[in-house]
Amino acid sequence: MARLALDDVTKEYRDGEMSVVAVEDVSLDVADGEFLVLVGPSGCGKSTTLRMIAGLETITDGEITLDDRSINDVPAQERDIAMVFQSYALYPHKTVRGNMSFGLEESTELSDSDIAETVEETAGMMGIEDLLNRKPGELSGGQQQRVALGRAIVRDPDLFLMDEPLSNLDAKLRAEMRTELQHLQEQLGVTSVYVTHDQTEAMTMGDQIAVLNEGTLQQTGTPLECYHQPNNLFVAGFIGEPSMNFFDGSLEENALVTESLAYSLSPDLRRDIEAGTDLVLGIRPEDVRIDEPRTDGQRFAAEVIVVEPMGNENVIHLRFDDAMAGDEFIVTTEGVPTVSAGDRVDVEFSEAVVHLFDGDSGVAIKNRTLSFSGTPDEVIP
Amino acid sequence: MSQSTPDTNIDVASVVEDVNLRRIGHYTLIIFFLGFFLLPLVTGIMTALKTNEAIARTVPFMPPLGGGFTLANLEYAFSQLSHAFINSLLMAIPATIINVLLASMAAFGLTMVKWRGQLVILILFLIGIFVPYQAVLVPLARFWNNTFPLADMLSPLFAGIPLLQSYHADLVPLIITHVAYGIPICMILFRSYYQSLPNSLVEAAKIDGASITKIYRRIILPISKPMFGVVFIYQFTQIYNEFLFSFTLVSSASSPEAPVTLIIPAIGTSTSGIDFGIRMSAAFLAALPTIILYVAFAEQFAKGLETESG
Repeated sequence: MARLALDDVTKEYRDGEMSVVAVEDVSLDVADGEFLVLVGPSGCGKSTTLRMIAGLETITDGEITLDDRSINDVPAQERDIAMVFQSYALYPHKTVRGNMSFGLEESTELSDSDIAETVEETAGMMGIEDLLNRKPGELSGGQQQRVALGRAIVRDPDLFLMDEPLSNLDAKLRAEMRTELQHLQEQLGVTSVYVTHDQTEAMTMGDQIAVLNEGTLQQTGTPLECYHQPNNLFVAGFIGEPSMNFFDGSLEENALVTESLAYSLSPDLRRDIEAGTDLVLGIRPEDVRIDEPRTDGQRFAAEVIVVEPMGNENVIHLRFDDAMAGDEFIVTTEGVPTVSAGDRVDVEFSEAVVHLFDGDSGVAIKNRTLSFSGTPDEVIP
Repeated sequence: MSQSTPDTNIDVASVVEDVNLRRIGHYTLIIFFLGFFLLPLVTGIMTALKTNEAIARTVPFMPPLGGGFTLANLEYAFSQLSHAFINSLLMAIPATIINVLLASMAAFGLTMVKWRGQLVILILFLIGIFVPYQAVLVPLARFWNNTFPLADMLSPLFAGIPLLQSYHADLVPLIITHVAYGIPICMILFRSYYQSLPNSLVEAAKIDGASITKIYRRIILPISKPMFGVVFIYQFTQIYNEFLFSFTLVSSASSPEAPVTLIIPAIGTSTSGIDFGIRMSAAFLAALPTIILYVAFAEQFAKGLETESG
């Protein structure tokens, strides 16, 4: 059990005159027993951050503390951290039992019989007791994944690190393991940091998610916070599948004018924005209303390009009349699709659900208004 | 050209003809090379088994018939070499083991552990490969004879060890020389293997709390088994067959510590000419240990690969 904190952690790779900053001034706080997901596109520095926490990379600047004790100079061997690797990194010459007991043998003073007992117990919990005498090469991908998890859990570490542990599994197994991992983490109550590029994993698993891009932290918050109240354009675009629709434009008089539409902004909204400012209008695919009775929003005519029925929802690709080819936006609807390719439809953007971002900095100017049943405070702290 | 695909119409006869011609070509080539490589060997073994008379009268690669067959050459060669065999093995086995172990450790340290200045050390190793034997012979001899006469220091000690004689101490400088000379190339062989191993193995072991030495001993060493097989065969053959160092460091072919390679050139020659039967017997016997080793280790090697990928 431990509380992990990163304070302005920076990692710079230097090669002679060249220097590449992989992680810049990242500060994170993971409470005891919390599940933090580090998410971002590949090359955003999330794995480097995790490896710095593990002690596999040195820190150029900043401080990492575990229970208020700085671990900057503590070697990986003495950090009492367990890690699950993307490639699993099981020792190929050892049996599952050997793999699981290795860490206990090396990092604890437990007797052989105690180790054996702990291993059996954990194997039972992970449902891999039948595999104990097999070698990793004889196991399927899913089984190897379980063993890799078991190897980390058996150590009963202060901190649990996972580097894209599910990315080598097929989609169905991945969804299963996602639930199981979450359940397991709750059961064990170990502080965990989980790295993934998959925003679905981030959304579903994390108590907190930290979105990284190009080495800098974009936002930390609960999954729903990041989804509904993104700090900036990057988070808005990264979180959510299909991703948010963006329309670049600028403020002219009382409307946001883009190539294909003019969206009038209420006086409240445009009060603080200078005329001529570059703006980006964002709207989530599920918030666009197609051919539905008009509410308070503004309507625009568009053409349906493609309809992808998924069963539970339909992904509809649309294009405004005077937009350039390829400049499509996406709308999702529930149930049976009511439109088909080639149809001309009216789409409605309600002001309550649109997001506005500064065109230059990408910072969010206005996020959607929330209207959940129940108190929003429960969902968004 | 010879592959038929189901969706094209190919004249069956032409395909058959094509395949046959290719096959004939293949087999002719195989038989040619088989003969090319095996004939000298067969000739050598046949000559070893023939009396001098039979050697003079029969075709070299034909087996000895009737009275032409003899084991006397082999017996004589063996009696001449038996002593040298012990010397050779006493030198080559420890030298190879030390060499391979040190090379593997060096490769581990230079590939899987990060530390400052390792590039310089790696370059030194690389340079080590290209130092020609001939260039170091004289300094080497002077070093072991005058500067640091290790053999003289050790010989009283060796006299006290059962089964060893004081003259075996003369092999120690030879062993050290071979180890020093062999490490760079063996290190490179191990290095390429270690580079192919995922780095996450070492990282996982680190996080599991293992020290660098433990990681080597408990993870990397066992995983390197197949590579040990390969490097061991290679290096043993090198050291066992080596002539120049033995020639320089051992006083003469008649010294009691002379290894096989030093004696072979002198065996079977006399003022009355060359005795081919004895020479061939000696050559055949001298080659046996490396052949036996190869066969023995090849199996271990295959097994190693099996567990590795299995």
